[in-house]
Amino acid sequence: MTQDDAGGSAPALRADRLGRRYGHVWGLRGCTLEVPAGAIAGLVGPNGAGKTTLLEMIIGLLEPTEGQVSVFGVTSRSHVAARLARVGYVAQDHPLYRDFSVADMFRLGRAMNPSWDQGLAQARMGALGIPLKRKVKTLSGGQRAQVSLTMALAKRAPLLVLDEPVSSLDPVARLEFMREVMASAADTGLTVVIASHVVSELERLCDWLIVLTGGRVQVAGPVDDLLAGHRLLTVPRATPDAELPGLPIHRTDSDRHSAVVVRADLALLAAHQRPGWQADPVGFEQLVMAYLQRRPQTAAADDTVPAAARPGLAAKEVTR
Amino acid sequence: MIWVSWRQHRSQAIACLALLAALAVYAILLGSSMRSAFSHDGLAACLARSQGISCPAAISAFMNEFGSAVNIAFWAVLLIAPGLLGVLIGAPLIARELEYGTWRLAWSQTVPRTRWLAAKLALVTGGLVVLGAAMTAVITWYRAPMDRLTGHFLHNIYDFEGPVLTAYILCAFGFAVLAGLLLRRSIPAMIAAFIPWLAIRLVVEFLLRPNFQAPLTFRQYCANGCSGDNGIGAVPPLTGHIGDWVLGQPAGQSGSQFVRILYQPADRFWHFQFIEAGLFLALTAAALGATVWLLHRRAA
Repeated sequence: MTQDDAGGSAPALRADRLGRRYGHVWGLRGCTLEVPAGAIAGLVGPNGAGKTTLLEMIIGLLEPTEGQVSVFGVTSRSHVAARLARVGYVAQDHPLYRDFSVADMFRLGRAMNPSWDQGLAQARMGALGIPLKRKVKTLSGGQRAQVSLTMALAKRAPLLVLDEPVSSLDPVARLEFMREVMASAADTGLTVVIASHVVSELERLCDWLIVLTGGRVQVAGPVDDLLAGHRLLTVPRATPDAELPGLPIHRTDSDRHSAVVVRADLALLAAHQRPGWQADPVGFEQLVMAYLQRRPQTAAADDTVPAAARPGLAAKEVTR
Repeated sequence: MIWVSWRQHRSQAIACLALLAALAVYAILLGSSMRSAFSHDGLAACLARSQGISCPAAISAFMNEFGSAVNIAFWAVLLIAPGLLGVLIGAPLIARELEYGTWRLAWSQTVPRTRWLAAKLALVTGGLVVLGAAMTAVITWYRAPMDRLTGHFLHNIYDFEGPVLTAYILCAFGFAVLAGLLLRRSIPAMIAAFIPWLAIRLVVEFLLRPNFQAPLTFRQYCANGCSGDNGIGAVPPLTGHIGDWVLGQPAGQSGSQFVRILYQPADRFWHFQFIEAGLFLALTAAALGATVWLLHRRAA
């Protein structure tokens, strides 16, 4: 297991039945997904869902208990440096050495990364008005986040991984931070993976979505395909799940009606259309919330369908 | 990487230099007054003449003036000082990164974490060797007149006038680095490293060191029956040769006129130093090796 297909064609990120156990508890299990180069992927999940576990295995800070993960085709532990060189990482809470100056942090970056881009780092600090002589401990949270992001960008890695990058920031700093991320991604064709539970933030940015709950991937795929492959059905409350077309993801019952997010394509829905049913497109947030609230047992039932991105396939299996 | 390690340990290095400077000032002050007293009392001539037998009054006057300051106050502090120094520098080396979350930064750069650790260990270990050697040199220099009376083999002298001092520091350092990785907190790691270090240190000093090599036996004649006092620390020792280390009497001797006394001769000093330093350096290497291995395969 060295380099699977280390070429331009390799996906930015591929996980294959990836799992990580802490003692007796699986932090993440059976994670199979692929993110193509150039995608901006949002990773959503509640606290403890395994987001950080997945990200740390992507970077190589954590070794998988089972399965494997590759970044631009580089899988193996024997290529540690090659793997590390391909990922820029902004950890949660933006850890930096408090008694270092910004210039010291950059010097560390230069010493520890052969491809370090000092010009980029200094230009970004100039544009943001952060003096290089300032000590890290005197910076605001937003400035620290920017220094962290700059460290990751100046590494010139093709994949940028951000773990809850804005959760500790105020709204203005949040906006500035995400604007910088998006501008850099647009400029350089970076692939970005952003873990967040600020769903509205991701809606604006992401073209790829991964929902993780309870250590399992609930759904993963391009946002457009996912939105096209799901519908919000409004049906009489008495309708049992078994009569619904496609795979019901989450059901909200009100007095007389139930609103059900189902995974099903338009053809399937048209074939099952009944009087009194109404099918509407789902929004990004609705879709994410449906998967976040999905009951765990239904999640386990379709373990064998990792390709949730292909709603047609999943729907067929359920309706057979 | 050298710059990174230096930048992170700069303040520790400065503190160690300050410590060394303070020790040097103390040593120069005490050492020069000891030197002038030593020549003023004519002790050098007396030692050359009779191994000190002919001038007991001058010797006891000299020992009374300098002995207490040198032996008791210093020994208690210096017994634990190398261990404290080692754990203070070793424990935060990894634990601080884990405490502050900066390990995610340090280990996600292109340099793999094992190389990151190797660079830090090389630099800090090198610094500690220089520090230990300098402390040994300073202490050996200022105590030189006293050592001409007592030799180098007594507990309070042996521990600071050879490679063992550096080995003690490195051993505590190695234990603390490993404990820092395992416990992920600096202060608990310092305690967890210091206790076994002190235990090993005392066991080696009092149980192993007297038997690194089989002791020699000296037969002493006591006309009036021998007293229980076998003169440990006397100048000159019962063997009559300054620098011999009198261990005591083997058990089970009746009150005959001849008493057998066990001792280690003075010329075994360097042999013993290298055995003991090797022992502590082996423990250091084991702890640091385990640290590198654990960090390499570590996953949480």
